[in-house]
Amino acid sequence: MTPDPVRDALPAGAATAQRVRDALAAVHDPEIPPLSIVDLGIVEDVRVSDDAVHVDLLPTFAGCPALDVIRRDVEAAVGAVAGGRDVRVGFVFAPPWTSDRITRTGRDALREYGLTPPPDAAQRRESSTAFVPVAALGRPAAGAQPSVECPFCGSRDTELESAFGPTLCRATHYCRACRNPFESFKPKAADR
Amino acid sequence: MSEDARLILLLSIADDELVIGHRHSEWTGWTPYLEEDLAFSSIAQDEMAHARLLYGLAADGTGRDEDSLSLGRSPEEYRNAVLCERPNREWGYSLARQYLYDTADAIRVQSLSSSSWRELAELMNVVRLEETYHLDHARAWFDRLAGGPATARAHLAAGLEATVGEALALFEPLPGEASLLADGTMPRSSEDMLAEWVGQLGETLEAASLDYVLERHAPLGEMVPTASGEIEETRPFAVPGLVRADGRWSHEGGFAGAGGRQGRHSEDFVPLWEDLTGLYRAHPGATW
Repeated sequence: MTPDPVRDALPAGAATAQRVRDALAAVHDPEIPPLSIVDLGIVEDVRVSDDAVHVDLLPTFAGCPALDVIRRDVEAAVGAVAGGRDVRVGFVFAPPWTSDRITRTGRDALREYGLTPPPDAAQRRESSTAFVPVAALGRPAAGAQPSVECPFCGSRDTELESAFGPTLCRATHYCRACRNPFESFKPKAADR
Repeated sequence: MSEDARLILLLSIADDELVIGHRHSEWTGWTPYLEEDLAFSSIAQDEMAHARLLYGLAADGTGRDEDSLSLGRSPEEYRNAVLCERPNREWGYSLARQYLYDTADAIRVQSLSSSSWRELAELMNVVRLEETYHLDHARAWFDRLAGGPATARAHLAAGLEATVGEALALFEPLPGEASLLADGTMPRSSEDMLAEWVGQLGETLEAASLDYVLERHAPLGEMVPTASGEIEETRPFAVPGLVRADGRWSHEGGFAGAGGRQGRHSEDFVPLWEDLTGLYRAHPGATW
Protein backbone atom coordinates (compact mmCIF):
# COMPACT_ATOMS: atom_id res chain seq x y z
CA MET A 1 0.00 0.00 0.00
CA THR A 2 1.31 3.48 -0.82
CA PRO A 3 1.94 5.85 2.11
CA ASP A 4 -0.87 8.32 2.83
CA PRO A 5 -0.07 10.79 5.62
CA VAL A 6 -3.69 11.58 6.46
CA ARG A 7 -4.79 7.98 6.67
CA ASP A 8 -1.63 6.85 8.45
CA ALA A 9 -2.12 9.48 11.18
CA LEU A 10 -5.40 7.86 12.27
CA PRO A 11 -5.73 4.89 14.59
CA ALA A 12 -5.58 1.81 12.38
CA GLY A 13 -8.70 1.66 10.30
CA ALA A 14 -10.83 3.85 12.58
CA ALA A 15 -11.74 6.43 9.97
CA THR A 16 -12.36 3.75 7.40
CA ALA A 17 -14.60 1.82 9.79
CA GLN A 18 -16.78 4.90 10.26
CA ARG A 19 -16.93 5.51 6.51
CA VAL A 20 -17.86 1.87 5.99
CA ARG A 21 -20.67 2.11 8.52
CA ASP A 22 -21.98 5.26 6.83
CA ALA A 23 -21.81 3.50 3.47
CA LEU A 24 -23.72 0.49 4.84
CA ALA A 25 -26.47 2.75 6.16
CA ALA A 26 -27.00 3.92 2.58
CA VAL A 27 -27.53 0.36 1.26
CA HIS A 28 -31.21 -0.49 1.12
CA ASP A 29 -33.17 -3.72 0.88
CA PRO A 30 -34.10 -4.01 -2.83
CA GLU A 31 -37.46 -5.55 -1.93
CA ILE A 32 -38.25 -2.84 0.64
CA PRO A 33 -36.54 0.27 -0.78
CA PRO A 34 -37.07 2.67 2.16
CA LEU A 35 -35.42 0.23 4.57
CA SER A 36 -31.66 0.44 5.15
CA ILE A 37 -29.87 -2.83 5.82
CA VAL A 38 -28.55 -1.33 9.07
CA ASP A 39 -32.13 -0.73 10.25
CA LEU A 40 -33.06 -4.20 9.03
CA GLY A 41 -30.52 -5.42 11.57
CA ILE A 42 -28.49 -7.65 9.26
CA VAL A 43 -25.09 -5.97 9.71
CA GLU A 44 -23.49 -8.11 12.38
CA ASP A 45 -19.87 -7.01 12.27
CA VAL A 46 -17.44 -4.75 10.43
CA ARG A 47 -13.69 -5.31 10.78
CA VAL A 48 -11.03 -3.15 9.18
CA SER A 49 -7.46 -4.38 8.92
CA ASP A 50 -4.51 -2.93 7.04
CA ASP A 51 -5.38 -4.67 3.83
CA ALA A 52 -9.05 -5.67 4.05
CA VAL A 53 -12.52 -4.69 5.16
CA HIS A 54 -14.66 -7.58 6.36
CA VAL A 55 -18.44 -7.18 6.59
CA ASP A 56 -20.44 -9.97 8.21
CA LEU A 57 -24.13 -10.01 7.30
CA LEU A 58 -26.94 -12.15 8.74
CA PRO A 59 -29.47 -13.59 6.29
CA THR A 60 -33.06 -12.66 7.14
CA PHE A 61 -34.76 -15.64 5.54
CA ALA A 62 -32.26 -18.15 4.14
CA GLY A 63 -34.02 -18.39 0.79
CA CYS A 64 -34.40 -14.66 0.20
CA PRO A 65 -33.17 -13.89 -3.33
CA ALA A 66 -32.52 -10.27 -2.33
CA LEU A 67 -29.55 -11.44 -0.25
CA ASP A 68 -27.34 -11.83 -3.32
CA VAL A 69 -28.31 -8.35 -4.49
CA ILE A 70 -27.60 -6.95 -1.02
CA ARG A 71 -24.18 -8.59 -1.00
CA ARG A 72 -23.30 -7.01 -4.36
CA ASP A 73 -24.60 -3.61 -3.25
CA VAL A 74 -22.56 -3.84 -0.04
CA GLU A 75 -19.41 -4.77 -1.97
CA ALA A 76 -19.89 -1.76 -4.22
CA ALA A 77 -20.73 0.70 -1.44
CA VAL A 78 -17.92 -0.44 0.86
CA GLY A 79 -15.47 -0.72 -2.03
CA ALA A 80 -15.91 3.00 -2.67
CA VAL A 81 -14.74 3.94 0.85
CA ALA A 82 -12.31 1.12 1.61
CA GLY A 83 -9.20 3.09 0.70
CA GLY A 84 -7.91 0.42 -1.64
CA ARG A 85 -8.40 -2.42 0.83
CA ASP A 86 -9.96 -5.70 -0.27
CA VAL A 87 -13.65 -5.92 0.54
CA ARG A 88 -14.89 -9.25 1.84
CA VAL A 89 -18.62 -9.54 2.42
CA GLY A 90 -19.97 -12.77 3.81
CA PHE A 91 -23.07 -14.20 5.43
CA VAL A 92 -22.78 -15.68 8.90
CA PHE A 93 -25.43 -17.64 10.80
CA ALA A 94 -24.77 -16.91 14.44
CA PRO A 95 -26.57 -15.31 16.05
CA PRO A 96 -29.67 -16.16 13.99
CA TRP A 97 -31.31 -13.02 12.62
CA THR A 98 -34.68 -12.36 14.24
CA SER A 99 -37.24 -9.70 13.43
CA ASP A 100 -36.50 -8.13 16.84
CA ARG A 101 -33.28 -6.79 15.25
CA ILE A 102 -35.26 -4.34 13.10
CA THR A 103 -34.69 -0.87 14.59
CA ARG A 104 -37.38 1.64 15.49
CA THR A 105 -36.39 3.66 12.42
CA GLY A 106 -36.67 0.48 10.37
CA ARG A 107 -40.13 -0.27 11.74
CA ASP A 108 -41.27 3.25 10.85
CA ALA A 109 -39.86 2.81 7.35
CA LEU A 110 -41.81 -0.45 6.94
CA ARG A 111 -45.06 1.19 8.04
CA GLU A 112 -44.49 4.17 5.73
CA TYR A 113 -43.97 1.72 2.89
CA GLY A 114 -47.32 0.04 3.65
CA LEU A 115 -45.96 -3.03 5.43
CA THR A 116 -47.01 -3.65 9.02
CA PRO A 117 -43.86 -4.23 11.08
CA PRO A 118 -43.57 -7.53 12.97
CA PRO A 119 -44.69 -7.53 16.60
CA ASP A 120 -41.77 -7.00 18.96
CA ALA A 121 -41.14 -9.23 21.96
CA ALA A 122 -43.45 -7.23 24.27
CA GLN A 123 -46.26 -7.20 21.72
CA ARG A 124 -45.92 -10.96 21.23
CA ARG A 125 -46.38 -11.50 24.95
CA GLU A 126 -49.51 -9.32 25.05
CA SER A 127 -51.26 -10.88 22.12
CA SER A 128 -52.83 -14.29 22.34
CA THR A 129 -53.63 -14.42 18.64
CA ALA A 130 -51.76 -17.18 16.88
CA PHE A 131 -50.28 -16.35 13.51
CA VAL A 132 -52.76 -18.69 11.86
CA PRO A 133 -51.48 -19.43 8.41
CA VAL A 134 -54.37 -20.53 6.26
CA ALA A 135 -57.03 -18.22 4.88
CA ALA A 136 -60.47 -18.41 6.45
CA LEU A 137 -59.41 -21.02 8.97
CA GLY A 138 -61.27 -19.14 11.63
CA ARG A 139 -61.63 -15.86 13.38
CA PRO A 140 -59.55 -15.11 16.46
CA ALA A 141 -61.13 -16.50 19.62
CA ALA A 142 -63.48 -14.12 21.46
CA GLY A 143 -61.48 -11.70 23.55
CA ALA A 144 -58.24 -12.31 21.71
CA GLN A 145 -56.60 -9.14 20.50
CA PRO A 146 -55.87 -9.30 16.78
CA SER A 147 -52.21 -8.48 16.62
CA VAL A 148 -51.77 -7.14 13.11
CA GLU A 149 -52.57 -3.50 12.61
CA CYS A 150 -53.51 -2.10 9.20
CA PRO A 151 -50.64 0.11 8.01
CA PHE A 152 -53.06 2.36 6.11
CA CYS A 153 -55.83 3.19 8.61
CA GLY A 154 -54.41 1.84 11.88
CA SER A 155 -57.38 -0.44 12.56
CA ARG A 156 -56.88 -3.79 14.22
CA ASP A 157 -60.07 -5.12 12.66
CA THR A 158 -58.04 -7.17 10.20
CA GLU A 159 -57.74 -10.77 9.18
CA LEU A 160 -54.90 -12.90 7.98
CA GLU A 161 -55.29 -14.16 4.43
CA SER A 162 -52.10 -16.20 4.38
CA ALA A 163 -48.92 -16.51 6.39
CA PHE A 164 -47.20 -16.53 3.02
CA GLY A 165 -46.94 -13.73 0.51
CA PRO A 166 -45.01 -12.25 -2.41
CA THR A 167 -41.70 -12.65 -0.58
CA LEU A 168 -40.60 -15.11 2.11
CA CYS A 169 -40.66 -12.38 4.76
CA ARG A 170 -44.24 -11.20 4.14
CA ALA A 171 -47.72 -12.35 5.07
CA THR A 172 -50.93 -11.13 3.44
CA HIS A 173 -53.92 -9.61 5.26
CA TYR A 174 -57.22 -7.84 4.72
CA CYS A 175 -58.44 -4.82 6.65
CA ARG A 176 -62.17 -4.93 7.33
CA ALA A 177 -62.19 -1.28 8.43
CA CYS A 178 -60.72 0.38 5.33
CA ARG A 179 -61.25 -2.62 3.05
CA ASN A 180 -57.68 -2.70 1.81
CA PRO A 181 -55.57 -5.77 1.35
CA PHE A 182 -52.19 -5.26 2.98
CA GLU A 183 -49.01 -7.10 3.87
CA SER A 184 -47.00 -7.47 7.04
CA PHE A 185 -43.37 -8.31 7.67
CA LYS A 186 -43.51 -11.73 9.34
CA PRO A 187 -42.27 -12.15 12.87
CA LYS A 188 -39.24 -14.41 13.06
CA ALA A 189 -38.25 -15.28 16.60
CA ALA A 190 -37.92 -18.31 18.83
CA ASP A 191 -41.10 -17.50 20.75
CA ARG A 192 -43.43 -16.66 17.90
CA MET B 1 -14.28 -38.83 13.71
CA SER B 2 -15.22 -39.95 10.25
CA GLU B 3 -15.65 -37.09 7.80
CA ASP B 4 -17.63 -39.50 5.63
CA ALA B 5 -20.24 -39.95 8.34
CA ARG B 6 -20.61 -36.19 8.68
CA LEU B 7 -21.01 -35.85 4.92
CA ILE B 8 -23.69 -38.56 4.92
CA LEU B 9 -25.56 -36.73 7.69
CA LEU B 10 -25.49 -33.43 5.79
CA LEU B 11 -26.49 -35.02 2.49
CA SER B 12 -29.35 -36.98 4.09
CA ILE B 13 -30.96 -33.80 5.38
CA ALA B 14 -30.06 -31.63 2.41
CA ASP B 15 -31.32 -34.20 -0.10
CA ASP B 16 -34.62 -34.54 1.83
CA GLU B 17 -35.07 -30.78 1.69
CA LEU B 18 -34.04 -30.45 -1.96
CA VAL B 19 -36.23 -33.29 -3.18
CA ILE B 20 -39.37 -32.51 -1.17
CA GLY B 21 -38.81 -28.84 -2.05
CA HIS B 22 -38.85 -29.83 -5.72
CA ARG B 23 -42.10 -31.75 -5.24
CA HIS B 24 -43.69 -28.85 -3.35
CA SER B 25 -42.66 -26.49 -6.15
CA GLU B 26 -44.62 -28.65 -8.60
CA TRP B 27 -47.79 -27.40 -6.89
CA THR B 28 -47.07 -23.85 -8.06
CA GLY B 29 -50.04 -22.85 -10.20
CA TRP B 30 -52.03 -26.00 -9.43
CA THR B 31 -53.21 -25.81 -5.82
CA PRO B 32 -56.94 -25.51 -5.08
CA TYR B 33 -56.61 -21.78 -4.33
CA LEU B 34 -54.24 -18.88 -4.56
CA GLU B 35 -53.13 -18.74 -0.93
CA GLU B 36 -51.95 -22.32 -1.18
CA ASP B 37 -49.94 -21.53 -4.30
CA LEU B 38 -48.16 -18.96 -2.15
CA ALA B 39 -47.80 -21.41 0.72
CA PHE B 40 -46.39 -24.36 -1.24
CA SER B 41 -44.18 -22.12 -3.38
CA SER B 42 -42.81 -20.39 -0.28
CA ILE B 43 -42.27 -23.64 1.59
CA ALA B 44 -40.46 -25.04 -1.46
CA GLN B 45 -38.25 -21.94 -1.58
CA ASP B 46 -37.42 -22.32 2.12
CA GLU B 47 -36.63 -26.03 1.82
CA MET B 48 -34.31 -25.49 -1.13
CA ALA B 49 -32.59 -22.68 0.75
CA HIS B 50 -32.06 -24.98 3.73
CA ALA B 51 -30.64 -27.61 1.41
CA ARG B 52 -28.29 -24.97 0.03
CA LEU B 53 -27.01 -24.06 3.50
CA LEU B 54 -26.21 -27.70 4.19
CA TYR B 55 -24.60 -28.31 0.77
CA GLY B 56 -22.51 -25.22 1.48
CA LEU B 57 -21.28 -26.72 4.75
CA ALA B 58 -20.67 -30.06 3.04
CA ALA B 59 -18.73 -28.30 0.29
CA ASP B 60 -16.25 -26.98 2.87
CA GLY B 61 -15.19 -30.53 3.65
CA THR B 62 -15.21 -32.00 0.15
CA GLY B 63 -13.69 -29.36 -2.09
CA ARG B 64 -16.85 -29.47 -4.23
CA ASP B 65 -19.24 -26.57 -4.64
CA GLU B 66 -22.94 -26.33 -3.73
CA ASP B 67 -24.09 -26.85 -7.31
CA SER B 68 -22.03 -29.95 -7.92
CA LEU B 69 -23.19 -31.45 -4.62
CA SER B 70 -26.85 -30.63 -5.16
CA LEU B 71 -27.09 -31.35 -8.89
CA GLY B 72 -23.94 -33.17 -9.95
CA ARG B 73 -24.35 -36.55 -8.29
CA SER B 74 -25.65 -39.79 -9.77
CA PRO B 75 -29.04 -41.07 -8.53
CA GLU B 76 -27.65 -43.64 -6.09
CA GLU B 77 -25.57 -40.94 -4.41
CA TYR B 78 -28.71 -39.15 -3.20
CA ARG B 79 -29.66 -40.01 0.36
CA ASN B 80 -33.15 -38.57 0.68
CA ALA B 81 -35.90 -40.70 2.18
CA VAL B 82 -38.19 -42.21 -0.44
CA LEU B 83 -41.18 -40.32 1.01
CA CYS B 84 -39.72 -37.07 -0.37
CA GLU B 85 -39.43 -38.29 -3.96
CA ARG B 86 -42.98 -39.56 -4.43
CA PRO B 87 -45.07 -37.58 -6.92
CA ASN B 88 -47.63 -35.20 -5.45
CA ARG B 89 -50.56 -37.47 -6.42
CA GLU B 90 -53.45 -35.48 -4.97
CA TRP B 91 -54.01 -32.65 -2.50
CA GLY B 92 -54.79 -34.90 0.48
CA TYR B 93 -51.66 -36.95 -0.17
CA SER B 94 -49.46 -33.86 -0.40
CA LEU B 95 -50.89 -32.35 2.80
CA ALA B 96 -50.48 -35.63 4.69
CA ARG B 97 -46.91 -35.88 3.47
CA GLN B 98 -46.15 -32.28 4.41
CA TYR B 99 -47.58 -32.92 7.88
CA LEU B 100 -45.56 -36.09 8.47
CA TYR B 101 -42.38 -34.70 6.93
CA ASP B 102 -42.38 -31.41 8.79
CA THR B 103 -43.30 -32.89 12.18
CA ALA B 104 -40.46 -35.41 11.77
CA ASP B 105 -38.05 -32.76 10.46
CA ALA B 106 -38.84 -30.54 13.47
CA ILE B 107 -37.55 -33.25 15.83
CA ARG B 108 -34.39 -33.67 13.77
CA VAL B 109 -33.75 -29.93 13.49
CA GLN B 110 -34.40 -29.36 17.19
CA SER B 111 -31.94 -32.08 18.12
CA LEU B 112 -29.20 -31.01 15.72
CA SER B 113 -29.43 -27.40 16.86
CA SER B 114 -27.46 -28.60 19.89
CA SER B 115 -24.94 -30.58 17.84
CA SER B 116 -21.35 -30.54 19.02
CA TRP B 117 -20.48 -29.54 15.45
CA ARG B 118 -20.79 -25.79 15.88
CA GLU B 119 -21.32 -24.88 12.22
CA LEU B 120 -24.14 -27.40 11.89
CA ALA B 121 -25.79 -26.26 15.12
CA GLU B 122 -25.71 -22.65 13.88
CA LEU B 123 -27.40 -23.55 10.61
CA MET B 124 -30.04 -25.64 12.37
CA ASN B 125 -30.85 -22.70 14.65
CA VAL B 126 -31.55 -20.58 11.58
CA VAL B 127 -33.56 -23.35 9.91
CA ARG B 128 -35.63 -23.93 13.04
CA LEU B 129 -37.01 -20.38 13.06
CA GLU B 130 -38.17 -20.74 9.46
CA GLU B 131 -39.63 -24.22 9.81
CA THR B 132 -42.09 -22.85 12.38
CA TYR B 133 -44.21 -21.57 9.50
CA HIS B 134 -44.17 -24.95 7.79
CA LEU B 135 -45.37 -26.60 10.99
CA ASP B 136 -48.14 -24.01 11.35
CA HIS B 137 -49.25 -24.76 7.82
CA ALA B 138 -49.15 -28.52 8.30
CA ARG B 139 -51.03 -28.43 11.61
CA ALA B 140 -53.66 -25.98 10.39
CA TRP B 141 -54.46 -28.20 7.42
CA PHE B 142 -54.44 -31.31 9.58
CA ASP B 143 -56.97 -29.71 11.95
CA ARG B 144 -59.06 -28.38 9.13
CA LEU B 145 -59.33 -31.70 7.27
CA ALA B 146 -59.59 -33.85 10.41
CA GLY B 147 -62.37 -31.64 11.74
CA GLY B 148 -64.05 -31.22 8.41
CA PRO B 149 -66.85 -33.09 6.69
CA ALA B 150 -66.52 -36.80 5.93
CA THR B 151 -65.00 -36.18 2.49
CA ALA B 152 -62.20 -34.06 3.96
CA ARG B 153 -61.46 -36.68 6.62
CA ALA B 154 -61.44 -39.42 4.00
CA HIS B 155 -58.88 -37.54 1.89
CA LEU B 156 -56.66 -36.92 4.91
CA ALA B 157 -56.93 -40.53 6.08
CA ALA B 158 -56.14 -41.87 2.61
CA GLY B 159 -53.14 -39.55 2.42
CA LEU B 160 -51.86 -40.65 5.82
CA GLU B 161 -52.35 -44.34 5.04
CA ALA B 162 -50.28 -43.93 1.90
CA THR B 163 -47.48 -41.98 3.58
CA VAL B 164 -47.02 -43.22 7.17
CA GLY B 165 -44.95 -46.29 6.25
CA GLU B 166 -42.53 -44.31 4.12
CA ALA B 167 -42.43 -41.50 6.68
CA LEU B 168 -41.01 -43.95 9.24
CA ALA B 169 -38.03 -44.31 6.90
CA LEU B 170 -37.14 -40.66 7.50
CA PHE B 171 -35.53 -42.17 10.61
CA GLU B 172 -33.68 -44.98 8.84
CA PRO B 173 -30.34 -45.13 10.65
CA LEU B 174 -27.47 -43.44 8.82
CA PRO B 175 -24.38 -45.36 7.77
CA GLY B 176 -21.73 -44.32 10.29
CA GLU B 177 -24.28 -43.07 12.82
CA ALA B 178 -22.44 -44.64 15.76
CA SER B 179 -19.46 -42.34 15.26
CA LEU B 180 -21.74 -39.29 14.97
CA LEU B 181 -23.40 -40.20 18.26
CA ALA B 182 -20.07 -40.86 19.95
CA ASP B 183 -18.76 -37.34 19.39
CA GLY B 184 -22.08 -35.52 19.81
CA THR B 185 -22.45 -34.49 16.16
CA MET B 186 -25.84 -36.18 16.49
CA PRO B 187 -27.12 -35.60 20.03
CA ARG B 188 -29.86 -38.22 19.55
CA SER B 189 -30.01 -41.42 17.54
CA SER B 190 -32.41 -41.91 14.64
CA GLU B 191 -34.11 -44.61 16.70
CA ASP B 192 -34.63 -42.26 19.66
CA MET B 193 -36.07 -39.53 17.43
CA LEU B 194 -38.32 -42.08 15.71
CA ALA B 195 -39.75 -43.13 19.08
CA GLU B 196 -40.58 -39.50 19.96
CA TRP B 197 -42.17 -38.89 16.58
CA VAL B 198 -44.29 -42.04 16.65
CA GLY B 199 -45.47 -41.22 20.18
CA GLN B 200 -46.48 -37.67 19.20
CA LEU B 201 -48.13 -38.80 16.00
CA GLY B 202 -50.09 -41.48 17.85
CA GLU B 203 -51.44 -38.93 20.33
CA THR B 204 -52.44 -36.50 17.60
CA LEU B 205 -54.14 -39.17 15.52
CA GLU B 206 -55.98 -40.60 18.53
CA ALA B 207 -57.28 -37.15 19.45
CA ALA B 208 -58.64 -36.88 15.91
CA SER B 209 -59.93 -40.49 15.91
CA LEU B 210 -57.67 -41.20 12.96
CA ASP B 211 -55.24 -43.57 14.67
CA TYR B 212 -56.63 -46.48 12.69
CA VAL B 213 -54.35 -45.36 9.85
CA LEU B 214 -51.42 -46.55 11.98
CA GLU B 215 -52.86 -50.06 11.96
CA ARG B 216 -53.50 -50.31 8.28
CA HIS B 217 -51.04 -48.05 6.54
CA ALA B 218 -49.86 -49.00 3.08
CA PRO B 219 -46.81 -51.24 2.68
CA LEU B 220 -43.59 -49.70 1.41
CA GLY B 221 -43.09 -49.56 -2.30
CA GLU B 222 -40.26 -51.59 -3.74
CA MET B 223 -36.79 -50.18 -4.11
CA VAL B 224 -35.34 -50.51 -7.58
CA PRO B 225 -31.83 -51.64 -8.50
CA THR B 226 -29.41 -48.77 -8.85
CA ALA B 227 -27.95 -47.86 -12.22
CA SER B 228 -24.38 -48.44 -11.07
CA GLY B 229 -25.08 -51.64 -9.15
CA GLU B 230 -22.92 -50.20 -6.38
CA ILE B 231 -25.42 -50.98 -3.64
CA GLU B 232 -25.00 -54.63 -2.86
CA GLU B 233 -27.78 -55.00 -0.31
CA THR B 234 -30.43 -57.25 -1.82
CA ARG B 235 -32.86 -57.80 1.07
CA PRO B 236 -36.18 -56.00 0.66
CA PHE B 237 -36.30 -52.67 2.50
CA ALA B 238 -38.41 -52.86 5.66
CA VAL B 239 -39.29 -50.37 8.38
CA PRO B 240 -40.38 -51.03 11.99
CA GLY B 241 -43.99 -51.92 12.69
CA LEU B 242 -46.31 -49.78 14.82
CA VAL B 243 -48.03 -51.07 17.93
CA ARG B 244 -50.20 -49.63 20.66
CA ALA B 245 -49.13 -50.76 24.10
CA ASP B 246 -49.39 -49.23 27.58
CA GLY B 247 -51.67 -46.51 26.26
CA ARG B 248 -49.35 -45.17 23.59
CA TRP B 249 -48.10 -45.84 20.11
CA SER B 250 -44.57 -46.99 19.58
CA HIS B 251 -42.47 -48.71 16.96
CA GLU B 252 -41.54 -52.36 17.07
CA GLY B 253 -38.71 -54.08 15.27
CA GLY B 254 -35.96 -52.50 13.23
CA PHE B 255 -35.03 -51.53 9.72
CA ALA B 256 -33.87 -54.10 7.16
CA GLY B 257 -32.32 -53.78 3.74
CA ALA B 258 -31.19 -50.53 2.14
CA GLY B 259 -33.47 -47.51 1.86
CA GLY B 260 -32.99 -43.90 0.86
CA ARG B 261 -30.30 -43.19 3.47
CA GLN B 262 -28.12 -45.78 1.74
CA GLY B 263 -28.83 -44.40 -1.71
CA ARG B 264 -31.52 -46.86 -2.75
CA HIS B 265 -34.68 -45.34 -4.19
CA SER B 266 -38.06 -46.08 -5.69
CA GLU B 267 -38.96 -46.04 -9.36
CA ASP B 268 -40.09 -42.44 -8.88
CA PHE B 269 -36.62 -41.10 -8.19
CA VAL B 270 -34.83 -41.27 -11.54
CA PRO B 271 -37.49 -39.29 -13.45
CA LEU B 272 -37.37 -36.64 -10.71
CA TRP B 273 -33.55 -36.63 -10.80
CA GLU B 274 -33.59 -36.21 -14.59
CA ASP B 275 -35.92 -33.25 -14.27
CA LEU B 276 -34.07 -31.66 -11.35
CA THR B 277 -30.56 -32.03 -12.72
CA GLY B 278 -31.20 -31.78 -16.48
CA LEU B 279 -29.98 -28.23 -16.92
CA TYR B 280 -26.91 -28.78 -14.77
CA ARG B 281 -25.97 -31.95 -16.64
CA ALA B 282 -26.45 -30.27 -20.02
CA HIS B 283 -24.36 -27.26 -18.98
CA PRO B 284 -21.97 -28.27 -16.18
CA GLY B 285 -20.57 -25.27 -14.38
CA ALA B 286 -23.22 -22.89 -15.70
CA THR B 287 -24.02 -20.01 -13.37
CA TRP B 288 -27.22 -18.03 -13.15
